[in-house]
Amino acid sequence: MALDSTGIDQSHKAHRTRQAGPKKKAKSDKKKKKNISENDRKQNPKAFAFSSSVKAKRLQSRSVEKEQRRLHVPLIDRSYGEPAPFVVVVHGPPQVGKSLLIKSLVKHYTKHNMSEVRGPITIVSGKQRRLQFVECPNDINGMIDAAKFADLALLLIDGSYGFEMETFEFLNILQVHGFPKVMGVLTHLDKFKDAKKLKKTKQRLKHRFWTEIYDGAKLFYLSGLIHGKYAKREIHNLARFISVMKFHPLSWRASHPYILVDRLEDVTPPEQVRMNKKCDRNITLYGYLRGCNMKKGTKVHIAGVGDYSLAGITGLADPCPLPSAAKKKGLRDKEKLFYAPMSGLGDLLYDKDAVYININDHFVQFSNVDDENGVTHKAGKDRDVGEVLVKSLQNTKYSVDEKLEKSFINLFGRKPNMLLEAQNDGKDDHETVEQARKIEPSERDNSGDEIEADESDEESDDGELDGMESSDQDEAIQKDAMIKSKGGVSEEETVDTFEQQSPLKDHLQEHVEYHGGRLRRKALFGKGTDHEDLKDSEEENENSDDGVDNQTPSGSDFSEEDGADNEIDDDMGNISKWKESLMERTVSRQNTNLMQLVYGKATSTPTTTLNEAQDSSDDEESDGDDFFKPKGEGKKNLGEGFDDGNVNAEDCSKFTNLENLKNWKDEELIQSIRDRFVTGDWQKAKSRNKVPGSNSEEEDDDDAVYGDFEDLEAENNRHQTNDIGNGAIQKENDSAAEERRLKKLALRAKFDAQFDGSESPDEEVDKKDRAKFHHGQANESSYFDKLKEEIEIRKQMNISELNDLDEPTRIEIEGFRTGTYLRLEVHDVPFEMVEYFDPCHPILVGGVGLGEENVGYMQARLKRHRWHKKLLKNRDPIIVSIGWRRYQTIPVYATEDQNGRHRMLKYTHEHMHCLATFWGPLAPPNTGVVAVQNVSNNQAAFRITATAVVLEFNHAARIVKKIKMVGYPCKIFKKTALIKDMFTSDLEVARFEGAAVRTVNG
Amino acid sequence: MGKTTYKRLKGSQNLRHRLLLATLSSSPILIEDIRADDTLPGLRQHEVSLLRLFDKVSDDCVVEINETGTKLKYRPGIVMGGRHLVHDCGVSRSIGYFLEPLILLGLFANKPLTIRLKGITNDSNDPLVDTFRSTTLPLLKRFGVPSEGLDLKIESRGSPPHGGGEVVLTIPVVQSLNAVTWTDVGMVKRIRGVTFSTRVSSQFENTMIHAARGIFNRFIPDVHIFTDHKAGTQAGSSPGYGISLVAETNAGCFISADMAIAYAREEETGDIEDEKKELMPPEDVGGQIASILLGEIEQGGVVDSTHQGLLFLLCALCPQDVSKIRSAKLSPYGIEMLRHIRDFLGVKFVIKPDPSTGTVILKCIGCGLKNLNRKVS
Repeated sequence: MALDSTGIDQSHKAHRTRQAGPKKKAKSDKKKKKNISENDRKQNPKAFAFSSSVKAKRLQSRSVEKEQRRLHVPLIDRSYGEPAPFVVVVHGPPQVGKSLLIKSLVKHYTKHNMSEVRGPITIVSGKQRRLQFVECPNDINGMIDAAKFADLALLLIDGSYGFEMETFEFLNILQVHGFPKVMGVLTHLDKFKDAKKLKKTKQRLKHRFWTEIYDGAKLFYLSGLIHGKYAKREIHNLARFISVMKFHPLSWRASHPYILVDRLEDVTPPEQVRMNKKCDRNITLYGYLRGCNMKKGTKVHIAGVGDYSLAGITGLADPCPLPSAAKKKGLRDKEKLFYAPMSGLGDLLYDKDAVYININDHFVQFSNVDDENGVTHKAGKDRDVGEVLVKSLQNTKYSVDEKLEKSFINLFGRKPNMLLEAQNDGKDDHETVEQARKIEPSERDNSGDEIEADESDEESDDGELDGMESSDQDEAIQKDAMIKSKGGVSEEETVDTFEQQSPLKDHLQEHVEYHGGRLRRKALFGKGTDHEDLKDSEEENENSDDGVDNQTPSGSDFSEEDGADNEIDDDMGNISKWKESLMERTVSRQNTNLMQLVYGKATSTPTTTLNEAQDSSDDEESDGDDFFKPKGEGKKNLGEGFDDGNVNAEDCSKFTNLENLKNWKDEELIQSIRDRFVTGDWQKAKSRNKVPGSNSEEEDDDDAVYGDFEDLEAENNRHQTNDIGNGAIQKENDSAAEERRLKKLALRAKFDAQFDGSESPDEEVDKKDRAKFHHGQANESSYFDKLKEEIEIRKQMNISELNDLDEPTRIEIEGFRTGTYLRLEVHDVPFEMVEYFDPCHPILVGGVGLGEENVGYMQARLKRHRWHKKLLKNRDPIIVSIGWRRYQTIPVYATEDQNGRHRMLKYTHEHMHCLATFWGPLAPPNTGVVAVQNVSNNQAAFRITATAVVLEFNHAARIVKKIKMVGYPCKIFKKTALIKDMFTSDLEVARFEGAAVRTVNG
Repeated sequence: MGKTTYKRLKGSQNLRHRLLLATLSSSPILIEDIRADDTLPGLRQHEVSLLRLFDKVSDDCVVEINETGTKLKYRPGIVMGGRHLVHDCGVSRSIGYFLEPLILLGLFANKPLTIRLKGITNDSNDPLVDTFRSTTLPLLKRFGVPSEGLDLKIESRGSPPHGGGEVVLTIPVVQSLNAVTWTDVGMVKRIRGVTFSTRVSSQFENTMIHAARGIFNRFIPDVHIFTDHKAGTQAGSSPGYGISLVAETNAGCFISADMAIAYAREEETGDIEDEKKELMPPEDVGGQIASILLGEIEQGGVVDSTHQGLLFLLCALCPQDVSKIRSAKLSPYGIEMLRHIRDFLGVKFVIKPDPSTGTVILKCIGCGLKNLNRKVS
């Protein structure tokens, strides 16, 4: 845009004006006009800005208005720490190039080619930012769900065709459920051969797009395909735009936790599935937590499925972590991670108790295993023994047998029955694997055919497959051995060793069959301690088939226990952190005691997330008998005798025991509290109030540097001595206060800097202008700034308070933080969810707030969508989407008359709002509602029938209906008439007693 | 959806907490074994009255009590509030018993609440209505409740056993509360109070004031205790007297203590009224109440022991910000409240003792309760 500066150097060919013809006339006319108007103005328009006061006033008011429109009520952002990846929903009609766009973007960010786009794809896009790409399905349900989790919506529009209904439908849904950022992308522009037409079309579409969103909304042009991909430069530009995008919190989402599921596993016991294919399933869902913190015991709504209480909730290690905060420019290739389990991409899969490493075919080096000896050791009985020996020799330290055998045990630890069967059949181990595959429910039925094919494939070349498998395992073991021998306990590895003791090994098979040629296997590491036991059981296993039955479960139990033990203090699997927290805990033991006293031991000690999850599930499911247990224990702990299990205690808030009243005339006693009065020593009082503040601050410091036990004790001692030395306290307090003040100032400065930096330069110019023009406005803007400042201080306060706590308490208090990768276990979902699971249809899990699981009547202000063809009929079922939910309901429409009464409507108004009262799960007032009549895809017309907003809950909505009744006069007096045949029953008569009557003629 | 799952509880203890929290979190509860082993099993009169009060201010709430009154099923409805409501609290508990849950219900109602409560205004078991005026309402203001429309008017007083008092409570509606950081107790800058007497000589009041001042004079000169002698119809139907004191600190804390003296109810004493129990003389009342207040001040919390439960509950109902408060030694009532908050709202407090002052620092993140009942324009 630097035209002015470059205009001088660049020599363009001078424009030759028309010398003749109609154009010349037109031009000259215009020029004349312009000249006149320019002459009217003063030479220096800036110097004489307003010649007319009216105009000045108008200008002023306009700019004031503009400024005010820019402002939003500042919202507190309660997500501390790393934000979850931003969700970029790519939406558009079919065949517009959605998948290709995602592929191109992924390629741009990670240099990986994706064959197909299924489910959310998480990538690290920058040092501070991760993105999650989701393709929006085209059915209305999918669109509704996608609109609820989108942070940025890329609307793809076929430029050669123009706008399609899907785009507008999606826009409307977005608007109702809180408007996230929207960017338009025009594709198929290479269909235009005529450049002028292309330009015209671009203009037209742009302006249409602007009317729908706002003037100046960004519309991208992707000019065409090069080698079946979008042009690199254009994708680069788009990526730039995405990476600088700022996302503001939306009110519904900021107050509800939600998870976009990027991985789903069926963990139903296979036996149960075998018995009854349609039994209710247990599933685990994985995804980043967004919105707000999620507490244990929160109920969740799975969109399209229903409300469930969580059977378990665990924070997992981030599968796609942000790079470490080292100072460097840009991302290293190694850090350009991406994670897309539903598309079968991403190298590591973390589970609560296992890590799956996914190794690409061409990365596997078959150095020590050839095709002909591609045999697992398990199958060694059938194959050449020599090869096995060679293989075992390659692994130097630990014998492979044990490892592999152990893996076998673990594999089938959870399904002894199946194993037994397999063994009874007298097949070799490999075949049991095969069978496990068959028994495994083919829950991803969309790839069912593939599975078949794969299976046959695998059977044909299973030797090879197994060979690779074993080699990989060997590698893993070797790696482990190395780690062991080194003795250096690097974090990741220890996590692995702890966590891999999985009771749920059946994932292995699933993954293998799911991804066809790709292998996904569990990394197996041995632990020195339980090695012997496992070996023993292994030997028994080999000796007798029955032994397997007895031993395997115990073995797996053992490992499970072990895993649990390891997890107790360490939910994130971080060993060093674990140690620290232990240390801290010993320090703060005295503090937790009080919590234990109040909340009972049972609930305050289980710091492990695993146990906690179980607790919460217990609380919800069997609330009957053990409800009082923790309390009872708490009482025992209390042991002070004021409420020894008296469930019928008198309900009284006053607690004054007159017995131990002190004699306040005693001089000593008077002195003891003299400083509590303004007549006493102010300094002392100040110190009294401030001590805990400085105390916590010091603790804070200790936390920061992870100071050890002695240190803190010394601190405590010092406090005790402080009570004696008055001056010392004072000094310390002053310094503490000073420190705090400085901290606050720094924060403010930081915040201000951030605030200014965030604004684009033209806005800043705007601000300057504003400052110049409107000194009177300073008040308002300062109010705005004050609000912002308050919020920021509130936030910093929260953070500093929360940082004082150790990790388990923190999770207990505030729940799982946003951005955590969570594993949710949900029990008893209908089998259809697993059976008809479609990775292209994203699953949304939303937390249900207080009182939102209840059902009742809601009143909403509803307006028929202007593009919907028909009016809506009273009591005609509609499908509404409110909050996280979608459900069908029967609305009763009404309108408010002049006299405040609600009159029922047969049909909704044509262009006006009316009231709709319907029954359903309650959503808080001010929630947006979008209504559709039919979710089927084969409708050509606009599918959204109405939009609404919830006004209130109403258990007794009074809606009156005007009715006409016909009767015949049987006797007529002067002012009275007797009418007959108007009612048919006494009940009717009773109902209408006292009703106002008006005849047709008035 | 159709089936409601009830939270099962046992015993009659803390019925007010349970009903209140059930209503605020809109979770149905089922209470069993209410005084099942007592000679007089089932719900007491005041508890039934409380249920009626809940039913009155809310819409579509379902209360089911079995024949013996030992089992109670409560499904909360929508708190409507409204004006010109009247409730007779009966004479088995004083109005203070009803006020404590009612003020919170009123905050989260559909419409501002104005209700006239009839019964005993001053009783030794519950905080006096004067204490509510002087201490509880300022406490609410601390959490962002607007002071307009927050009022408690004492129209007439009633002492046990026959009551006859009337108060009018007005409570505004809030959208949500504000989290507080309230650890500074400050220093007591003044002591205020009010004495009352119904159907006894007004000289009683002066005696009480004199006795109390005698103790306070050693500490602070700024002591003003007002008298409120009711006579005629305003005095209710039984004799009684008492005093309510509040110490105000320069950090804005209100620490209260109160005491009311009246003849006991007949069913409580059990024996026939051949010898009426001697009432505590007013001098002793004044001395004791001053001692109690000083005891509360000595404890060093930001509120007195009576208001601990309310303070905790208010903190738990805040938005999802950290509230930090300093309280004195936890009272049994406060502990019960903490447990109930955990059970109903899922909010847990971090409780840290502060050994240097003998107080307790509590921290919590609120449950983020929003007023769902309020109508949007």
